[in-house]
Amino acid sequence: MASEPEQVLSVRDVSRGFGGVMAVNGATFNALRGHITGLIGPNGAGKSTLMGIVGGAIKPDSGTVVFEGRDVTGLPAHRIGRLGMIRTFQLSAEFTKLTVLENLLVAAPHQKGESLLGAELGRRYWGPSEDALVEVARSVLDRFSMTAKENELAANLSGGQKRLLEIMRALMANPKMVLLDEPFAGVNPTLAREIEHYLLDLRDEGLSMIMVEHELSVVERLCDPVIVMAQGKVIAEGSMSDVGARREVLDAYLVG
Amino acid sequence: MQFYISTLLIYLFIDIMGVLGLNLQFGVAGIINFAYIVFIAVGAYTAAVVSLGPDYPGNFQHYVFGASWPFPLPILAGGAAAAVLSLVVGVISLRRLRSDYQAMVMLVLSLIATLVASNATGLVNGPAGLATIPQPLYDQLGLSPLDYQWAYAGWAAFLTVVVFLFVQGITRSPLGRTLRAMRDNERAASALGKGVTALRLMVFVVGGFIAGVSGAVFVEFIQAWSPGSWLYPETFVFLAAILVGGAGNNWGAMVGTLLVPVGFLEATRYLPAIFYQGFIEAMQWVCVGLLILLFLWFRPNGLFPEQPGRFRRRPLITGGSTRVPAVPVAPPAPVD
Repeated sequence: MASEPEQVLSVRDVSRGFGGVMAVNGATFNALRGHITGLIGPNGAGKSTLMGIVGGAIKPDSGTVVFEGRDVTGLPAHRIGRLGMIRTFQLSAEFTKLTVLENLLVAAPHQKGESLLGAELGRRYWGPSEDALVEVARSVLDRFSMTAKENELAANLSGGQKRLLEIMRALMANPKMVLLDEPFAGVNPTLAREIEHYLLDLRDEGLSMIMVEHELSVVERLCDPVIVMAQGKVIAEGSMSDVGARREVLDAYLVG
Repeated sequence: MQFYISTLLIYLFIDIMGVLGLNLQFGVAGIINFAYIVFIAVGAYTAAVVSLGPDYPGNFQHYVFGASWPFPLPILAGGAAAAVLSLVVGVISLRRLRSDYQAMVMLVLSLIATLVASNATGLVNGPAGLATIPQPLYDQLGLSPLDYQWAYAGWAAFLTVVVFLFVQGITRSPLGRTLRAMRDNERAASALGKGVTALRLMVFVVGGFIAGVSGAVFVEFIQAWSPGSWLYPETFVFLAAILVGGAGNNWGAMVGTLLVPVGFLEATRYLPAIFYQGFIEAMQWVCVGLLILLFLWFRPNGLFPEQPGRFRRRPLITGGSTRVPAVPVAPPAPVD
């Protein structure tokens, strides 16, 4: 192909064992800039572990993870987050006793009032940048039709709204890439469709994403390329129609 | 009577300082510090030994590092010593352990600290503790004992206001918001780029400093300090104050201090001695435990729940940039 899309993330031969089980066993794949890379596979294939390794929550036993040309293998999660790779969680991970607006504001990087000295210098010091952030957060809320929930405690949101909150929060962190771990889990079909459209819009704006998802029809609509994992390894890589036809993929899904 | 009231006020202010420090750690940042009283004790011991003067062979009490530092220095030294200990303990226990294990480590630390202070007799005079600690500026001021008491109450009140403004500066800032986020979901906070270990350590040291200051101010007032003054259940009195008042809310923490360590424990001292000597005191601990349980069950957010951050209203939808002045969203609980 003439214009090969640029790699934003490159995972090479990554392994991680827990006790005697190799959860991820030599996985290799690339994620492309401005694409939603799908990560699918049967339960226990090692998808979540791989996401954990990429996001820095789990340290790999071997292999390398290169993000934006920088080796990030084994960096702690917050360092990877600061580099612009933000992950969302399979189970809702909202800040329960913060309002929706505050949940978004927390995510903003480099806040003036976030150091001890900055905080003690008072609102006069950090107020202006805080006001600017509030504006940004409100525009995000408007975009995701969550304006009315601005002052609601995150704990009181519905399951689907919590998923939306996580996506909004990730966006507030100025991400270069977002790792979505089952963003549609427990979301009603209508809202799920809505979230799909949001994700496609974000992709069209140039945001790179990796998405773990079980619902293959969703993957087909959103993801290209698709990575198929089974037993800790990547067994196929390509467009959904490509990989869906392959023998080993069918075997993995049928045999598990 | 004036003596009693001024003493009670001094206790109240000192306890408020201590509770505010623990509220920062526990209420805001979610660090379960069951060893909080140890940091108060370290502040108290430090202030004591740097104001008692050098130890000498015939002395009735023995301690390390005797000195006679002038007035505000012992308090700062107390805070600093507690902060240093916080840093050491924090680096060891807060980095890798999950919060429930951290809590256990803290509880054990509290027990060990009491044993060390009691048995290493050369350190701070063992179980007998230190006494005759000089009151700051007592000779220089030349006040009557009662006037001195009131002056001391004023001094404690001043320090309390300073501590309050300091912790309030943290809790109402973006830093406080990040700490609350970390408390609510540590993994998510770190995925968003927040260095949770560094944040926890920072809060632990700042809270430890406040604990040390409150211990120092306390020991300079009562002039004596021994292992019996800081047994581990004392931490739970502080925790009860926070849970009753409202974790994460500094105003609530102050009200909780007024109600639990001062009001409740002071009031029960006037109950007639029943059954046997010490029965009332034993029951006090039972009641503190019951109080914690009852609040956790029926009013887990305390009397004054934590207030979420408030922001300016959205501009009116006229397209202009006119802003509506900030209006309290929440009911007028005593915040700001």
